[in-house]
Amino acid sequence: MSRLAQPKTSPVIKRDGRMGGGAGGPDGELHNDIRRMNLDQTQSTNADLVATEICPVCKSSRYLNASLRFLVNPECYHKMCESCVDRIFSHGPAPCPIPKCGRTLRKHRFREQTFEDLRVEREVDIRKRVAAVFNKREEDFENLRDYNDHLNDVEDITFNLIEGIDVEETEKRFEAYKQANSREIEENAQMAAHEKQSFTQQQKVERHQAKQRREAARREEEEERREAEENRKDVLKRLASGADADTVAKEGQRVQLRKRMDRQAAAERQRQLQAAEDARNNGSSNFVIKGLKAKTKAEPEEPIDPFGGLRFVDSYYSLQDDYVWEGIQEAKKDVRQTAGGYDVMDYARRSLVAAFSGLGVFVADEVTQRDQVGQDAEAVGTARADIGVKDIGMVDAA
Amino acid sequence: MATSPALDVPAEPPLKRRKVSPEPPDITTQVADLAEQLDAQERKKYVKGAKLGSGQYADVFSAHLVSDPTKLVAIKKIKVGPEVKEFGISYDSLREIKFLQELDHPNIIKLHAVFSTKNQNLNLVLEHLPQGDLLKLIQDVGGVQYTSADIKSWMLMLLRATHFCHKNNILHRDIKPNNLLIAADGSIKLADFGLARSMADPFQPMTYNTITIWYRPPELFFQAQHYGGQVDVWSCGCVFAELVAREVMFRAWPETEINMVKMICEKVGTPTEENWPGVSKLRGYVTPTEFVPLRPRDQWLASFRTIGEQGVDLLVKMLTLDPRQRLSAEGVLRHEFWTSEPRPSRLKDLPRRGGGVETMGEDLTQRGAELPRQNGRADKVARKIDFGAMK
Repeated sequence: MSRLAQPKTSPVIKRDGRMGGGAGGPDGELHNDIRRMNLDQTQSTNADLVATEICPVCKSSRYLNASLRFLVNPECYHKMCESCVDRIFSHGPAPCPIPKCGRTLRKHRFREQTFEDLRVEREVDIRKRVAAVFNKREEDFENLRDYNDHLNDVEDITFNLIEGIDVEETEKRFEAYKQANSREIEENAQMAAHEKQSFTQQQKVERHQAKQRREAARREEEEERREAEENRKDVLKRLASGADADTVAKEGQRVQLRKRMDRQAAAERQRQLQAAEDARNNGSSNFVIKGLKAKTKAEPEEPIDPFGGLRFVDSYYSLQDDYVWEGIQEAKKDVRQTAGGYDVMDYARRSLVAAFSGLGVFVADEVTQRDQVGQDAEAVGTARADIGVKDIGMVDAA
Repeated sequence: MATSPALDVPAEPPLKRRKVSPEPPDITTQVADLAEQLDAQERKKYVKGAKLGSGQYADVFSAHLVSDPTKLVAIKKIKVGPEVKEFGISYDSLREIKFLQELDHPNIIKLHAVFSTKNQNLNLVLEHLPQGDLLKLIQDVGGVQYTSADIKSWMLMLLRATHFCHKNNILHRDIKPNNLLIAADGSIKLADFGLARSMADPFQPMTYNTITIWYRPPELFFQAQHYGGQVDVWSCGCVFAELVAREVMFRAWPETEINMVKMICEKVGTPTEENWPGVSKLRGYVTPTEFVPLRPRDQWLASFRTIGEQGVDLLVKMLTLDPRQRLSAEGVLRHEFWTSEPRPSRLKDLPRRGGGVETMGEDLTQRGAELPRQNGRADKVARKIDFGAMK
């Protein structure tokens, strides 16, 4: 990269470059600055490598000071050495010393970077921030598809923040969601923290038990070795005092066997005790079961409504038990009509509905109502179903 | 490109290759009338996908909205062609459109739109119900287990839909398990309104040759031409019994009407003037040669013990011979069975492996009152032997 080429390439770098444009713009310039500065200073072709070694503020280099530590501030991710941070920000917030940045930084926010690539560092920070707010779990969703859609939305927001697309609008959406769901977010966060805590506790308990088991095994082994040694000594002593070699050897073996049996019995007793202890602990609160699903409070179930909330109320007429019209009277008398289950009162009701149909329908009202409900035309339609039974003059073809 | 003279094959006359039906005029460029414009507008809202089922009468495709690919629908394309003898649109599809576009209920399949494509094909945009039907659930004895609470939940949804139809003066007239489709959330949707009609005026005759024969009530076998919502309640009762026993309640063999009447006499009792006043006046009534008394309550209880005493009480009242003594859909919903223990299962707990989208495709292509196709229960139905396939 020559100096002549630099001005041409710089706008490109600025736009899509190593920082992907950055949330506020200055991020994108960061490496550009670093690069240009390095070129000025060292004329090195290996600018990136050197950039990691020299503080862009005070120009001190790791070559001269091996203990040089670089810090970044998540506000603008400009890198500078620890002593510069101390020097500039000790007396409170101050603007970033990198040219053209000028963001107000605070000392306590400076930290060592985890990833070598600052782009990655920034992305991870943003992801952390978004994930802390969108902490819904799969169990919260009706089905996998909804969960995946949600994840997709979250990823859209994250991507926009990272790549700096519609940052303001995205931030607004993000904040709105945070405001609206603060309680839920808090609950989920607590649940996650609790799970993590119980998991670490469980691991700790397991580690402790494993250690105890190892120690017990080691102690036992040592004990056995010591006894074997003692036994051998005993046998030798008795042989030295002039006893019969065979009987002494047998005696020694018997003693050893009995001791081993004793030890096994003791171990068994110990195990039983331990099991009893475990069982006792199981019931108490200091035993943790991992992988439990967080219980949602079961709402008291409403009594069953066989009609599913649908009520048909005749608001314009009341159906009489009988009508004197001869058509109805004759149909009532005709056995061929009634024996098949034909109910002439169905006809009377339908005629009344037909007579009044359309009277309760106010199109303008329905339109406003639908707009209020949120374009849910079906809900309005169902609510209106009781007023006018719509289909009247349908003649069967068969 | 000139063809080689060595290939002495005469070119096919171009007329044969050309499509017989003229290409539809491009509506966007020409000035079309308003109806065509509206039709095109509706048609462009959907993207047709894979074919889910194909029948003699209709094809069913999966489709989704152009504006939102997650919103799935099923498009039932009614076949119109030389193989359909009748001119114009078939009665079945006319009825289906007429009633479905009026009915809006959570347990009735939703008709979103209707549009026509080239050759005046009718396309019904229906709700996408991916979990198959109740028949597949009932038949999958080894694979699907369900409890009496599940049965109660399904029946409640079915009766709500039936009640809603009757309240809107519509008789469905083809209630059976393979017309009960299962939605993604597990709820039951009443489909296939191809045989539905609105309730008749006094003295206006209705056909008695309707409802799939296994689910047909006795008054239709006796050729009653005046009937009411109780015909659907009988069908619901048959579905209820089928859900419990996992086999068809009244399944006569061969499936003639005489045999069906005999079967009903055996299983419920012989209709007489005592238990059904006026039955002998019905046109198709045949004086019984042998008399079976009404089946006593304890026998019902013995075969349907799982739904409890109240369930059996309801079942008996739904399968009463005399349609006037049979409960109406509203009466069924007022029965204490629904509010008694066990509570109906919640939607998310219901089994829903009713065969998937293919089953929906198969069901929606069927004509009304057809017995189920292919294997399963129809295996004893005489099949037409396909000599063309034998070689």
